[in-house]
Formats: sequence, structure tokens, C-alpha cells
Amino acid sequence: MSLVQPIAPPALYADRLKVYPKAVTGRVRQLKWAVLMLCLGLYYLIPWLRWDRGAGVPDQAVLVDMRNARLFFFWIEIWPQEVYYLTGLLIMGALALFFASALFGRVWCGFACPQTVWTDLFLWVERRIQGDRNERMRLDAAPWSGRKLRRKALTHAAWLLIAAATGGAWVMYFNDAPTVARELLTGQAGAGVYGFFALFTGTTYLLAGIAREQVCTYMCPWPRFQAAMLDEESLVVAYRTWRGEPRGKAKSSVAGDCVDCLACVHVCPTGVDIRDGQQMECIGCGLCVDACDDIMRRLGRPQGLVAFESINNLGASAAAVVTMRAGASRVPAGMAARTPLRLMRPRSLLYAGALCAVALVMAGAWTMRATVTLAALRDRAPLFVRLSDGALRNAYTLKLANRGHGTPSLALAVDGPAGLRVTVADAPPPDAAGRPLLATRPDGITQWRVFVTVPAGLGLAASSPVTFRLLDAAGHVAVHETSVFLGPGA
Amino acid sequence: MFRFLRDHGIIERNVLLMGVLTLITISIGGLVQIIPLFAMETTIERVGGIRPYTPLELMGREIYVREGCYLCHSQMIRPFRDELERYGHYSLAAESLYDHPFQWGSKRTGPDLARVGGRYSDDWHAAHLRSPRALVPESVMPPYSFLDRPLDAHDIAQRLVAQRRVGVPYTDEMVGNAVADLATQAGPDADAVAFQQRYARARQGVFDGNPRVVTEMDALVAYLQMLGTLVDFRDVTPEQLRQQ
Amino acid sequence: MPPKTAKDAVSGQDTTGHEWDGLTELNTPLPRWWLYVFYCCIAFALLWMVLYPALPIRGATGLLGWTARGAFPVEMEHANAAQAPMLARLRAATPEAIAADPALRGYALAGGRAAFAANCSGCHGAGGQGAAGGFPSLADDDWLWGGSHAAIHTTIGHGVRNGEDAAARGVAMPRFLADGLLTRPQVEELADHVLALAGNATETPAGGRGAELFAENCTACHGARGEGNRELGAPRLDDAIWLYGGDRAAVLRSIGEGRGGVMPAWGARLDPAVINMLTVYVHALGGGEAE
Repeated sequence: MSLVQPIAPPALYADRLKVYPKAVTGRVRQLKWAVLMLCLGLYYLIPWLRWDRGAGVPDQAVLVDMRNARLFFFWIEIWPQEVYYLTGLLIMGALALFFASALFGRVWCGFACPQTVWTDLFLWVERRIQGDRNERMRLDAAPWSGRKLRRKALTHAAWLLIAAATGGAWVMYFNDAPTVARELLTGQAGAGVYGFFALFTGTTYLLAGIAREQVCTYMCPWPRFQAAMLDEESLVVAYRTWRGEPRGKAKSSVAGDCVDCLACVHVCPTGVDIRDGQQMECIGCGLCVDACDDIMRRLGRPQGLVAFESINNLGASAAAVVTMRAGASRVPAGMAARTPLRLMRPRSLLYAGALCAVALVMAGAWTMRATVTLAALRDRAPLFVRLSDGALRNAYTLKLANRGHGTPSLALAVDGPAGLRVTVADAPPPDAAGRPLLATRPDGITQWRVFVTVPAGLGLAASSPVTFRLLDAAGHVAVHETSVFLGPGA
Repeated sequence: MFRFLRDHGIIERNVLLMGVLTLITISIGGLVQIIPLFAMETTIERVGGIRPYTPLELMGREIYVREGCYLCHSQMIRPFRDELERYGHYSLAAESLYDHPFQWGSKRTGPDLARVGGRYSDDWHAAHLRSPRALVPESVMPPYSFLDRPLDAHDIAQRLVAQRRVGVPYTDEMVGNAVADLATQAGPDADAVAFQQRYARARQGVFDGNPRVVTEMDALVAYLQMLGTLVDFRDVTPEQLRQQ
Repeated sequence: MPPKTAKDAVSGQDTTGHEWDGLTELNTPLPRWWLYVFYCCIAFALLWMVLYPALPIRGATGLLGWTARGAFPVEMEHANAAQAPMLARLRAATPEAIAADPALRGYALAGGRAAFAANCSGCHGAGGQGAAGGFPSLADDDWLWGGSHAAIHTTIGHGVRNGEDAAARGVAMPRFLADGLLTRPQVEELADHVLALAGNATETPAGGRGAELFAENCTACHGARGEGNRELGAPRLDDAIWLYGGDRAAVLRSIGEGRGGVMPAWGARLDPAVINMLTVYVHALGGGEAE
């Protein structure tokens, strides 16, 4: 142990270094704009889509109806008991994320993650009001003035407006959109609606306006473990070291292609230097690709010094050019050493297979989903009743859940000990064969109390199986449920 | 003197200082757990009806603990309306007065049992413990048919003494009559005046349907049928429920 | 002059300056705002301790004065207020009318179940299954006092042989042996006849005077063939249901010492709406009869 006396205590906490991403144009940027508009468009507009489901049912295409405990998605309507469909969707979402990550790296982070999308939108607003990188840095460094105050206020107001629209859209997924929009604006919405509106407005403003890249670096767990989904053949945003190094002036004859212009650093929304190699803070958005391509184009050099590239290819290219002089001559040899992206890999096939399997199970479960389900609940007390003629009687509560919108009546047939008699409380009307017809309620549950009586002297076991079958109009068994008939035993 | 507050290197180099600071830190954690114990008396409501477990109930409780029932069943009804509607009046501290250890639990894979006493018949409990799915098809409870074996309670008097050591007010009379009381409660015909005087409103009966032998089933059902029945809430005033 | 914090040669990152046997520790500074969030959490906890009961000190219930048990009655009051209109309707209607109205019926069945568990199941058992020793099952088809809504309502409201309600049901059954009305052999013959009436006897009493004794002593209440009399609460003797047990010893005891179950009058204890709900619930247990 070193006994050297106190060292200057190191700073354990760091102030944030604000990032001023510079505007950039190019193919990746265009793709990002397209994804942004698609995502935001879907998010803001979906609550307004209508879907006619008939009278008495909400006509909103996508709606989480908490009060009536129903989830509507176009032609699909699920009950809380069927939340496993949602679980299945989430599992599929996770597998799709793994799959995409294995092939293309952090495309989710860089393109479709809400944090990225809203931050991009907020940055665009900021740029429109305060100008590009240099102007914003000057503005921040300048002392407070009327002009600075106006611009800052305008920026934050615009952010809050977008955030409010975001929070407003959120509550529309849980309430009828036109109604709740009107209530929100006229101050008539409930405390819960305003609470969630404020929550999502506040978090949008905070996360996309203020926190930004810190969400990805410090808060989000995904960057910490997504490396497990990637391998050497996944596409990542990478700086082709073999071509760029050593960095130098454009006219230098011994330098590589990188002219150390820092364009890639200036456009980066998380403020990293891609030339340092793979790093956790990089969200894989590829804006540095556009920035570097622009510089290379102006210098008349081949594009792709920073590119979506696999680690394997980086190594192969570097190996191919290791003996060559730095500079333009390295490019053809290095590029020729690359192998095309291999989509069929054990990893990607495994993820795709798992995804297909879950999707198949989901589809199967959905097609076999019964619109009418039956639950038979035995009375816990009394276990059985002895009637005055010595017969034994058990009582059951049948719960018929009708998930459809029709009102089929189903005939009840009971299989069990010989000679059993069935009576249903409230005496529902019998069908042609004399079986009681149990009515169902559209999108609801009906309850029936059923008494099963077995005559005396049969020497029944203490417990015998009883099956309740519900027959549709054609006489087919729509649904059945097994319970037990209890007696004192022999 | 307090330079170590700014440079933890000083602490790391000084064993004595580190020991003192460690002691302070640990004692804070200890005090947080210990101090409330001194105020425990004030949490116990002054309601009537609370009595120590009868020997048979105590044996049933031992079986309850042995089988790990508390892993799936809580015995703690919280003061919420939904709990009241399903289970009954919220649990009182007084009702756990003679529980060593208490069986509050924290997991409800099965329902809360704090007031299961009297809710079902003895027959139901015995049949349900033997084969839960024979009565409740959707149940996930394991069967306990082996409880129909004879109850080994030769040391019941010593168990009462052990409970007395941790504060349960078992009298010498109770300890002396423990074996007889156990048999009395499990047999409906025996003269029970003295037993009833010792354990007010204790329920007697052939709990498992077999009058010939006292089984573990008898003990467990007797315990279950007692749970939550000691306090008669019709006689309880709001003042009595107030914790001091 | 203390040495500057060293940089790590490999990563180029600062170290904390600690060194253990040649190993140094990299310093990755936490964002300062993260530290402030931590301070905010501590401040929140302190505020919580001030506002809510947190300290085990008598009277330290927090500035808000909130307790779980204090909030509970408020929650119940809200629930009771929400139930009040329905209870008013249930109070005003007759049990038959309630049973005929689906909305009222559903409410009464749920309310009746809760009230039954709280007040009735002690004797009649959960679900009205009854209990040995004179606590009749309410789920079978045998009624002492009648199984119509009106009859059940009367029984619940006034009770049976309780001495506290003038309109309570019930007369006392004579104690034939204890009061010397019959001799021991007579009682035994009578018991054999009663068991034969219910088809419970293993052999028919040959040439006994049982039938004669029954006609003289029992028919006034229990009917000529033991069919019972609901006006008097005299149970049927010709069915498979025994209130006090159907073995010979139990029947001997019933005749010799008499029987007379007691039920409290609930009219004075419970809200009329609750009695109506109980009536509808008991009627629906499985033995309910038409009016």
C-alpha cells in the first residue's frame, strides 16, 4: 500500500457538458426524418381513428377502456383475463428488438426510440429558433439580454406546446379522443386525466428538452446489455481506422483520409467522438456518417470513412492494408477485403425462429379463442344437501362470459351420476328438448345458479365427476366444464 | 479533526476510526429496528376475548408453521374496504398478542386466513385439506392427507411452558391439565366445564370426523376454526380500537 | 505538495488516487444532478416523516394526522353513502318484490350473503348448511316454519322461542318422560314408531302400541302420519331429515326430554333492509318455496 500523503481528492461528480448538435443533411438524416414523421404521425393520429362496433360500444379504433376493463384494437377486443395476448405482443416486441440489434446494431436507439424521436424534434425546434450549433453556443455564452431571453422563452414555450400535445395524445388512448380533447381544453376533464396529462407533458419536456442524451447514458438500461445481442457481424456505426489514420492535413502526403475536421463530433447528439471506437454512449443514429460523407465529397475522396460496418470487416480491411502506405491508395484494397453482410447467422436465425414461434403460438391462440367461456364454481358450503326424500343435491354457480357481441342462448346439458336432475334458479325457458336455455349478455357475463339432484340409494362415491356442457342451436357443444358432485360417500 | 469527512482515505488508514464509524453506522440500523419495540405496548388494542391458544389449537398452530402455510396464506387483514368485504374486520394487534412467532405472512397465493374461523364447516376443512381439488377444482394447494395420522402431543405441557417463557400467560393449572384439555377439545362428549373456564369459548368437536383418535388434522382444523373468532366485534367500541 | 491524481495509462481516464498493491481504481464521475436527485429523495423522506406517522413515539402521528385506521372509517362512510339509495329501496320493498326485480335481487343476494356470514352462519353454518344439534339447514327443502319469502321474513324478524319478542314463533314440546307423561317402555315403543314413519327403522315394530301412542300424544302437532305442522314449528317426522339426529338414542331423547330450539329476533338488531336482503338470500339458498 502506498503511503504517499493525501492526493488532491478527485472530483467524484461531474457537471454536464452541454451538447450542441450541428445540423446535417444526407441519406441517414433523411431516413431519420422519415421514421420520425411516421412514428409521431402514428402516435398523434391513431387515437382519432374510428372503428364502428355497433351501438353501446366505443367507436375508437385503439382504446384502453379502463373503466369497463376492455382493450380495443380495431377488430380485436380483449378482456383483462386475456392479458397474455399483451404479454405475447411484448415478448414479440423484445424478440424483434433482439433480432434487429443482431443484424443492424442499435437501430432502435438511433431511429425509433421515443427518446431519440422526441429529442430530434426538440432539437429541430431549438435550431429553428436559436440557430445552429455555433449560434447556440454563442447565445449560451452571451450575457442575458432581451434578445436572449426572447429566444430562450420562445424555445421553451414551443417545447411545452409539443410536450402538451404528447401528454394530450397519451390520455386519448385511454378515453374517447374527441371528448377528452374537448374536456381538456375546457377544463372539464377529471383529476386523473389532468394528472396523466401533466405527467406525460412534464416528462416529455424534461427528457427530450433538458435531459436528452443523459437518458441514454445514465438512465436507460438497454445500452448496458444490448451488447449481448450484437456480434462481430452486426452492423454498427464505425470509423474506418485503417483508412483515416493517421489523421492529418488534407494536403499531407503521409496522412490518412481523416482531416480531423471534427464534423462527426459536432453533429453527434450524444457528443461522442466516433473515432474513439465502439462506446456505450453511441446510440447508432449514423448522423456522423452523413457529416463525414459530406466532407469527403468536398475533398473529392471516396465516401464511407465513417459508415455502418461490421467489426469483422473493419478487421479484414485493416489486415489487408497493413503493409500499405497511408492515404488514398489504401481504399480500394481495404474495401475489396470486406465480405457482404451475412444475414443468415445462427444468432439471427435463432432470434427469427423464436419470433416466428411466438407469433405462431399467438396466432393459434387467437384463432382458437373461444368467444363464450364457462366457469363452474361449486358451492363451498354446504358441500351437499340432503333433501326430505333422501336425495342429494349440490349447487353450482355457472358463469358464462360472452366476449362477442351476439346474444346466443345456450342449452345446458349435465353429465354425471345416473338419474340426476338439473334445476336452474330463475327457471330459464327450456329448448325443444326440454333443456334449460341459458341466455348470454353481449360483451358481458351472466351468472346462473344450478342445482344438481341425485336420487337416494345409488351408493355414490364421496366425489363423482360432473360435466356441464353448453350446446348451441345446432346441438354442438360450444363449451364445457368439469366439476365434481359430492356426497357423504358410501 | 473532521478532515476524514472530506477525505475517506483517512478512515481507510485508521483502524480505530473506521471501527468507531462502523459501529455508529450499524447502531443506526439497529436502533431503527429496536426502538419501536419499546413502543409496542401502545399498539395493542384493549379488546376482550383474547386468550392463549388451547393445547389442541397450539398443536395445530405448530403444524401450520411446520407445513409452511404462511408461505401462501397471510393472516393480516388490512384496514381497507375491499379487505373488509372479503375477509372481515381488519386484524388487530391484540389478536396476535400470543403469537410466537406471528403468522402475518406477506404473500397471498391462497386467501388470507386471519378470519377463516367458522367460515366453513369442520368437514369442509378436513376434506379440503385431504384433497383440495376435490372441493375446489381450480385450487393449486397441495394435498395434506397425511395429516390423518395420530397427533404426537406427548410434550404439550412443555410446549405450554415454553410459550409461557416468552410471555404467554399460561397458568400452572393450564399446564397441568394440558394433556387432558387436548383430549377434551377433540372429543365432544367429555365434560368440559373446567376446560371452558380455562379457555373461554373454545370450540369443541370431532374436527376430522374420526372420534377414535386425535389426529394432526384435528389439531390443524381446531386452530383454523379459532382464527379470528376470539374478538366479538359487536361488543367492540371505536375507542377500544384506537392505538395509543 | 500532494501529487496530482494519476491518469490510467490504458484508458486515459482519471483514477481515484487509491492504490492497493499496485491496483488503482478508475474514477467515473457521476453526473452532479444525479447527486441532487438523491438529496431530493432524502428531503422527500424527511418531509414524509414530518407529515405522516413515522416515529414510534406516543402522539407522533404526523402533521397531517393521517392513520390507516383513521382513513378506513372515512372510506366506509363513502361506501355507505353510495349504498344508501339502494338500501332505501330495499327497505321499502317486500322480499317478494325484491326477488322479482333483477337489479334489487342481485344487490340483495350480495348484501344478504355478507349479512348472513356476519350474523347467521354462527349457528346455521356457512351457506346455511346447518349444524348438528338443532341448527336447521336452510338449503334443503324442509322448513320448520315455512319457506316462502313471507314466512322466512317473519322467522328472521321475530325469531323462535326467544322470550324477547312477543311475536316470536314456537311452542314448547312436552317432556314426555321427564314430566312423567309416558313411561320408559312407552317412549321406546313410540320411538320405534317414529323411526318407522321415516322409514329409518331396521325392522317394523311388531304389534307394539306405538301407533296408538303416537295418535294420542303426537298427532296434534306432528300430524297423523308425522307430516309436521308449520304453524307450530313441529317438524316433519316422515322424511329423511332429522334436526336432532335420526338414530334411536337421539329420538328417545327428543321424546323423553323435549326439544325447543331458540333463535334470536333479528328485527330489533338489524336494519329492515338487511332483513329483506337476508330473506331473499336464504330463499335463494336452494329451498325457497312459492308464496
